[in-house]
Amino acid sequence: MKRASKQALGDLHLHGGPKLFEIPISTSNLVRPDVERFLAYSRQFYDAGQYTNNGPLVQELERRLAAFHQVSHCVSFSNGFWALVLAIRCLALPSKTEAVMPSLTYRRLGDVVNWAGLVPRFCEVDERTLAISAETAAPHLGSKTALIIGVHPIVNCCDAAGLEHLAQTHSIPLLFDGVESVFETLGGRKIGSFGQAEVFSLHASKLINGFEGGYLTTNDADLAERLSAMRGFSFSGPDRVLELGTNAKLNEMHAAMALASLDDLEAQVDRNHERYRIYQRHLAGLDGIRLLTFDESEQTSYKNIVVELTEAWPLSRAQTVRHLNAEGILARAYYSPPLHSKPTDYPVIAGPMPLTERLAERYLLLPCGHLTSLGDIEAVVDFLRFLKIHSQAILEADA
Amino acid sequence: MNASFISSANNALAILGAPPTFGEPLPVGQLYFPTWDAYERAFRELFARQYYTNQGPLADRLEVLLAERMKVKHAICVTNATIGLSMVADALGIEGSVVMPSFTFVASAQAMVWSKLRPAFCDIDPQTHHMNLEQLDRLLAQGASAVMAVNLWGDTYDMPALEEVARRHGVPLFFDSAHGFGCAFKGKPLGGFGKAEVFSFHATKVMSTGEGGCITTDDDDFAERLRNIRSSYGVRAQIKVYRTANGRMSEAQAAIGLLNLENIDDIIERNGRLHQCYRDGLQSLPGLTVRVPTHADKSNWQYLILEVSPDEFGLSRDQLHAVLQKEGVIARRYFNPGTHRCPPFDRISPTLLQETDLLCDRVLQLPLGAKTDEAIVGRIVGLLQTAHHFAARIRTTLQEADRGRESMR
Repeated sequence: MKRASKQALGDLHLHGGPKLFEIPISTSNLVRPDVERFLAYSRQFYDAGQYTNNGPLVQELERRLAAFHQVSHCVSFSNGFWALVLAIRCLALPSKTEAVMPSLTYRRLGDVVNWAGLVPRFCEVDERTLAISAETAAPHLGSKTALIIGVHPIVNCCDAAGLEHLAQTHSIPLLFDGVESVFETLGGRKIGSFGQAEVFSLHASKLINGFEGGYLTTNDADLAERLSAMRGFSFSGPDRVLELGTNAKLNEMHAAMALASLDDLEAQVDRNHERYRIYQRHLAGLDGIRLLTFDESEQTSYKNIVVELTEAWPLSRAQTVRHLNAEGILARAYYSPPLHSKPTDYPVIAGPMPLTERLAERYLLLPCGHLTSLGDIEAVVDFLRFLKIHSQAILEADA
Repeated sequence: MNASFISSANNALAILGAPPTFGEPLPVGQLYFPTWDAYERAFRELFARQYYTNQGPLADRLEVLLAERMKVKHAICVTNATIGLSMVADALGIEGSVVMPSFTFVASAQAMVWSKLRPAFCDIDPQTHHMNLEQLDRLLAQGASAVMAVNLWGDTYDMPALEEVARRHGVPLFFDSAHGFGCAFKGKPLGGFGKAEVFSFHATKVMSTGEGGCITTDDDDFAERLRNIRSSYGVRAQIKVYRTANGRMSEAQAAIGLLNLENIDDIIERNGRLHQCYRDGLQSLPGLTVRVPTHADKSNWQYLILEVSPDEFGLSRDQLHAVLQKEGVIARRYFNPGTHRCPPFDRISPTLLQETDLLCDRVLQLPLGAKTDEAIVGRIVGLLQTAHHFAARIRTTLQEADRGRESMR
């Protein structure tokens, strides 16, 4: 789409100009798999007359995902949230109460831990990875630690091997939230096989679109069996309930969608790569905005676009986001506010976290995914450049 | 009894050596689903719209239609009914115990535990299968924070009587109406009773979204709290809640729901015909009672529930279940074992649940739904008649099999 580029302050939407994007572009992936493939998969459950309860497509999806992550077991769920709740509940050491986890993370992760019956104990992150590490987790381990939740960051991975070593040394279970790292490798090893288990999302905004959904990968057969039961009320056979369970089953329509998305995955990563290259090329000349680069010595999905606003950027992040959003560019602050700074009615444990607080002010997610064209990306970067050039006038006008 | 159904041959039934009546096992649930053409059209449109979840236009539309149908202010679609029940318990903001029947699907109680509540089980009235209101009154007098009543089998409670007990003790009343979509009490549809009701749209229910459900309430503030617990998408005002739950229903689920809702009246009518077929076929057969609504003046007829009286029928519920299983009829023993006998609830000190225990040993659900028709019902009725006729021989066969298993050990 041809867009009138902004020339003067008055062209900003907040100052009366037309929006740059009438149809907003966002940070959600919203990948659209081939509809014919989706229908072909759907035909399988339709002909079998089975719409949920571990149907043929759920089984096929779990086989495919286990192979993809190079693990022996995959268990699917209604969404990533309940996958995490159930996994934490299974893995937590009995009679221990604390889940050691980063504060600079998914905004609902504290809620997840509370549903699982534990108290979040927040730790700092490593400035280089923006993620929990063995060094940042270690000071929080103690007699009450039930498990460690290692969360992979939005770009690249956390030091999973370091966390594994720490967890093993202390005999503490380690669960990974790998939602943003489906495609990645670490030292050539697929994400999915680290710790006791890893959890992923099939939400439409994520790499593999299953409408809603989630899954867990593990090499622990007992854990997989226990979770397969737990997501279906902990039934073992038609007339026997083993323990507390709930309903966290993935239905067949969602499994069909995830399978169709999985078929498209390699091609999608190529498309993501193209988008990333455009960002990389165009942002290179824009001082004040530093693109977080993917580690291309590993496998990566090139999906998320995260930038740091450096000292050279003249506007505050809040101001930048406000102008971007007003133009229909739905950029988002990176994990902000961090969890420890949001008051909750349930207990959490948080000491001072100066690094997390500083990092939480600096990063920004820019539009990506299926609905963001290469031309859109150029327009986004042009707009950022416009903001920088007119920053003095914007600061005066906004004040 | 219609003798034409009964073969006099020794091997009249699969359990006695005959081939099974149904080569392909006959499922027990409703399993109504849109036609392939309707499904394909809906999903091509969805793919063109590229709106996949997070309270999209289909979920919005479904909520409007559900609220209209149930004559209630708010219908809030959720990923499934169990999460919906946990959301309601969370939204009530209560602690302590919730009085509920043990004679229910185990998920009802599980959902309370996730919301940090203790189930206090109330025995049932064998006439209604619903909570014994006198015992409910006594349990509430001992101190409880809420009542969860379960509208079972397409029937409803005697609503004024139940509401009066809850009101007397000043505790909120809400409903697990997982079985109840399409039912009404004195002309008023389920959905508008108590503080809230939770419906299941699981594939085995009369109204299906594959997996799914909805919460209904007439309370604006309570509805808003529920939307905020569900997710940030679809909220009308931001309210601080204790915690969120990701209870979203996707556009795919909503698409199925909208299509099924178009046919719901036909589905209920068809269910009613099949239910009547069973009743006609079984009325003269001793020892089997088909459950009919006690208080609902409109039922969805989605459950064919038998009560087996072993002395009169000649076989116990479990023996009859074994007979049907061999025939390829997937009958379900509800609720077996009773919720109070399932971990972790078996550790809760039991109140007297005598009637619940008796009924848990007698109830059997038979197939009724999309995969059954009049002819299939006829064949199942025939099987039941034959089973009664050969009850003595079946008992002997099963006892011999049991002894065989014993000696293998």
